[in-house]
Amino acid sequence: MHGDEYLDLKLGDFLERLGAGTPAPGSGSASALTVAFAAGVVVMVARRSEDSWEDAAGIAAQALALQAKVAPLALADARVWEEALDALDAVRNERSTSNGDLEHKLDLSTTVPLQIAESAADTASLAALAAELGDGTYRSDAAAAAVLAAAGASAAAHLIAVNLTVKEGDRRLVRARANAEQAADAAARALDSAR
Amino acid sequence: MRRLVLSTPPDDRGYMSTMAIALSDAELVQRCRAGDLDAWNELVERFSRYVYAICTQGFRLPQSDAEDVFQEVFTRVYTRLDTLRDESALRPWIGQLTRRLCMDTIAASGRMQPAAHIEPEGRERTLDEVEEAFAVREALAELSEPCQEMLDRFFARDESYRTISSELDLPSGTIASRISRCLRQLRQQLEGKK
Repeated sequence: MHGDEYLDLKLGDFLERLGAGTPAPGSGSASALTVAFAAGVVVMVARRSEDSWEDAAGIAAQALALQAKVAPLALADARVWEEALDALDAVRNERSTSNGDLEHKLDLSTTVPLQIAESAADTASLAALAAELGDGTYRSDAAAAAVLAAAGASAAAHLIAVNLTVKEGDRRLVRARANAEQAADAAARALDSAR
Repeated sequence: MRRLVLSTPPDDRGYMSTMAIALSDAELVQRCRAGDLDAWNELVERFSRYVYAICTQGFRLPQSDAEDVFQEVFTRVYTRLDTLRDESALRPWIGQLTRRLCMDTIAASGRMQPAAHIEPEGRERTLDEVEEAFAVREALAELSEPCQEMLDRFFARDESYRTISSELDLPSGTIASRISRCLRQLRQQLEGKK
């Protein structure tokens, strides 16, 4: 976490940057942080459930690991996206004739959202478990976490779908959509459990 | 959320060799004292990452200095192993030897190493983390192979539940619970060592 330009900011400062009108941070970064928040809520629920749920400590540890994995993707996504935009701009303004470079940068910009979608699916699975087996008082929090994670997965899959290098049937898109589906199923289960 | 990363080769999954699992530190010392060459190799293998982590993470020595300290530590272990009174205290002994040699290296170099800017408190915290990481590694080696693999895949290789499920041919919905059970066993191992 040390030396991460976004994660070292105060939350209010990050939100200000999100609305500053610059291309990044944008929706990819926001998706990553949404999933990180969801993982944080799962940690909270699991820790509050340790007396009644044997697996709680292990679920908290896994949620913490997912949070540590996904939170830095906020900055990673902003960087790859900015580089892709620069390359696009260079081609448009004929500063560069290398479509290969542009394609490579756009291609790279799908890698981070795919990682976000994977972490989101795993976070949603943990949240669904917490909604089913966690302390009754906090099951609705776990369900909310599953919904947040599913939103992150769905947003990340959408960002891959609209990437210029991605066509229908592309394996990255297929994987991202499978993750989004998995997360959505987990969220539905979590909402059912927490009713 | 900070994670201590031990400097291991990327293709090394960190599993211990058969001898490492079979022998306690005290038994290893006895075999080394008896002149068993395989035991010496095992001792170096068992503690090399530990020594290197103290040098590079605790004291932030540059590569060349860390390599010098590394060589010197194992030379001294080889020549002074007979002076170790408590055979089960091998790791603390090697740790102390390494720390002392790191301090000597910094003092002798007369350079302003990055380590010089670290508060002693911060250095102690890092060294504690190194100790903890190695205690976890030792406890991990005593878990069943499936548990070691499961924890390694999720926590060290950052694999998703879907990947783990497909690679190990296990139902995806059970992975998180299996990991939790393995973590419980790991905790029991660690608490048993205290």
